[in-house]
Amino acid sequence: MLQRFLDPATLASISSLDLVAKTVVDGFVAGLHRSPDFGFSQEFAEYRAYTQGDDLRHVDWNVFARTERCYLKRYRGETNSQLLVLLDTSASMGFRSHEISKLDYARFLCASLCYLAHTQRDAAGLIIFDEDVKNYIAPSTRQGQLFRLLHAIEAAETGTRTDFASPFVHFQNFQRRRGIVVVVSDYYEEPELILKCVEPLRFRGNEVILFHVLDPAEIAPAFREPVLLVDMESNSALEVSPDYAHTEYRHKIDAHIQALRDKTRGAGMDYFLMNTSRPLDEGLREYLTIRQGRM
Amino acid sequence: MGFLAPWFLAGIAAVGLPVWLHLLRRHRTTPQPFSSLMFFEPRTQSSIKHRRLRYLLLFALRTALVVLLALAFANPFRRTTAADSSKRKLVIAAIDQSFSMRQGDRLERAKRDAAQLLSTLRPDDRGQVLAFDSQVHAMSEPTDDRAVLQAAAAAVEPTDARGSYAELARALRALAQGARMPIEVHLYSDMQKSSLPPSFTDLRLPESVRLIAHPVMTQRVANFTIENVNVPYRVYSGRKIRLQATIAGYGTEAATRRVALMLNGREVELKSAEVPAGGRAAVEFLSLEAPYGLSRGEVRIEPADAFPADDRFLFSVDRQDPRRALFVYQARSPRALLYFRTALDSSLEPAFAIDPVTPEQTAGIDPGKYAFVVLSDVGSLPQSFENSLQRYVRGGGSLLLALGRDSAARSRVPVFDEGIVDARYFGREQERFQTAAWLDSAHPAIGSDNRWGDVKFYQAVRVEPGKSRIAARLSDNTPLLLEKRLGEGRVLVFASTFDNVSNDFPLHASFVPFIDQIAHYLGRLESRAANQTVGSYLELREAQRTGTAVEVLDPKGRRALSLEEAARAENLVLASAGYYDVRRANGQHDLVAVNTDRHESDLELIPAETLALWQNTVRSSTAPDGGEAPQPKPVSFWWYVMLAVLVTAIAETLVGNRHMHVDKEAA
Repeated sequence: MLQRFLDPATLASISSLDLVAKTVVDGFVAGLHRSPDFGFSQEFAEYRAYTQGDDLRHVDWNVFARTERCYLKRYRGETNSQLLVLLDTSASMGFRSHEISKLDYARFLCASLCYLAHTQRDAAGLIIFDEDVKNYIAPSTRQGQLFRLLHAIEAAETGTRTDFASPFVHFQNFQRRRGIVVVVSDYYEEPELILKCVEPLRFRGNEVILFHVLDPAEIAPAFREPVLLVDMESNSALEVSPDYAHTEYRHKIDAHIQALRDKTRGAGMDYFLMNTSRPLDEGLREYLTIRQGRM
Repeated sequence: MGFLAPWFLAGIAAVGLPVWLHLLRRHRTTPQPFSSLMFFEPRTQSSIKHRRLRYLLLFALRTALVVLLALAFANPFRRTTAADSSKRKLVIAAIDQSFSMRQGDRLERAKRDAAQLLSTLRPDDRGQVLAFDSQVHAMSEPTDDRAVLQAAAAAVEPTDARGSYAELARALRALAQGARMPIEVHLYSDMQKSSLPPSFTDLRLPESVRLIAHPVMTQRVANFTIENVNVPYRVYSGRKIRLQATIAGYGTEAATRRVALMLNGREVELKSAEVPAGGRAAVEFLSLEAPYGLSRGEVRIEPADAFPADDRFLFSVDRQDPRRALFVYQARSPRALLYFRTALDSSLEPAFAIDPVTPEQTAGIDPGKYAFVVLSDVGSLPQSFENSLQRYVRGGGSLLLALGRDSAARSRVPVFDEGIVDARYFGREQERFQTAAWLDSAHPAIGSDNRWGDVKFYQAVRVEPGKSRIAARLSDNTPLLLEKRLGEGRVLVFASTFDNVSNDFPLHASFVPFIDQIAHYLGRLESRAANQTVGSYLELREAQRTGTAVEVLDPKGRRALSLEEAARAENLVLASAGYYDVRRANGQHDLVAVNTDRHESDLELIPAETLALWQNTVRSSTAPDGGEAPQPKPVSFWWYVMLAVLVTAIAETLVGNRHMHVDKEAA
């Protein structure tokens, strides 16, 4: 099972990146990746001239004795944070146009993130939801936490329809610490509604990252002839022409992705589109690279 | 409307294929699960309808393609008459302008009738005027401008050339290939039988040509003419010239005609001739005395008949003194001179007089004064004379070398400048000799009179031929007669002698014509008749001698050649009857008498059945007025159907590509 989720190639490619994340204050991966903020821990960083208002406790008196000047001694901050992964297992996540369904891909993604958190000694938690919360594993660094998470991810099955309101309210009730919240879904909902549900997490000081998992056939469907499409969540059917799928549908899905990207980033959150036809490590590397560049 | 291959219509059953593809196979839609229909709207149904419409268009095009292909193979046709298909046609007025049209008012009537035809052309028709004799001249391009056509018909002038219906038929065949409409040819001619070609197939016309004959004469006109005059052109002796004229009557009764001999506009002699009915009579004049220089002669029939234009026959006479030829020989062997001179004097008109000299006497002689020079077995020559000979030859002179025992003492042949290999003796006592095994009859010095088989050659000098032309060989392959061009001149080498010692050639009958021909060749006196026929070619220069101008005045006294033609043209077509005054670059002055072809004097008409046969060589031509009604002929639509197939296939490709564009992305 571990082997299935923790593809060594995937993890090696992620570990080789020098992660300097924007949210290092809370420590996405404490220890390996330094926080750009200075704190007052055991690891010395540099001296700084004293200015009015600085805490006198941090003045290096030995230096003052030698030079008669006040310098503050600064240390690198090391913080631990918690990672909470929200995995959408609605029926639409079961769609596939090739060998890996969106849910499979989302499982790999979640497992990779949990493993990374585990190796960084961060607390990791998991919420599996469709229209309701199916499973909840509270963030923890306890022994066996990783296996509990991976087991829960492995056991996740497609459910019914998606409802963002219920799981997010549930999450807000249980969250006590600030941390990183990763939402993995196909987001078949209006961007305004998604934002309305996710935005409160950001207001609480969380770093919110949305992973938008889509199958290539959803981004650019191509039909040879008119097809009768059946909605996997509502079971409603509609006859669709290849011409429409080729033109108008693509415009609509592109506009949806663009709106979701704009609104989430406008709200201070991160958004990443994960195409299931692309390798998982490539998607993660792109995500980490973008986050590094933003620093 | 019908089909030439109706069984191909069964191919229409293939329409079932697009029907199955479009109408039956299309409705098999299987439900396909999709993650969300959030971005699909009910109005997408209208898009499908558009798609269906496009499919229907594609279906219609494919169905039409199958049907049209089946129709194309079935080859549909429609029966139509020639009259229907010739609504727009090219009307050609072909006017005969040959010499015989000068008789009476034949040409005027032909032009008048043609003008009347051209004035009544239908608005759709185009017209063209052709004039023909031995060649066809387009007097106008195909046009619907009546004024141009009228002017072209009026501009037709009679010529002195012979008429040729075969040439007209050939031109009509060429025109029919380029014309995209039926051609109606109106032939205005005196329908002279002698203008017909020997082979009737030369008269055949293509299917699109309809021939309508308009004879300007309906009855044969009796006509006397002078068919031929036999008289030498060059005269060297002072004796009187013998002239023979042939009087011919075509369709005439037996009659007595007076025949007058004119020379330089003066009547010299008058004789009468009894011409039998439709026969010929010969008249001989024995006392013609031509003055020195060029004279214009004429034989005339009196009184004039219905066609006076052919009652006179022109000839020319050039009287000169014999030209001098230098004969260099060894004083100890005068027999060569004897045989050579005797042979020259034996010809009917001895054109050359021999000046014999020995090598010792040549020192102060200028060869340029002589028509040609003969070196008969000369051993050594004064160097000055040898140099003079070289300059003489390169400047256009001619030299003949006969090689014998004395010549063989040298290592090279003088002037000819080729090495002497050896002198070969074949031994008379043992009756060993060589014969002339091979003769080039194309060489002017040998000609067709090449009976040298009995000539025995006992001695010959073998000469390296080099770049020279070999005109005769002995049986052991030794070159006997060689020719080399040096500059503008000619050098001939006879590898034996003329003295009846090295050979017995002078004792044979072939010796005299050989000496006469080689002398004329060396003296550049090519034989020429005293008169030529209209349409024949006059040789102006040898091909390699371009650049030297030739001046030719035609019978009307105008220059017949442009400046460029005068410098380059090798031949001149003698287009008119009369005297052509020719001045060549080397100063030679000729007077060429040109007469019309006497076939034009026979005014017998083409039999009606022959004319009808000619008109019927056109299978599609309609019968003359009062004939049977034209039969409808099938006109195939094949090309139109194939055009429709092409258009449909292109449209199907375009529409199908739009459909396949989506399919390719799906793939």
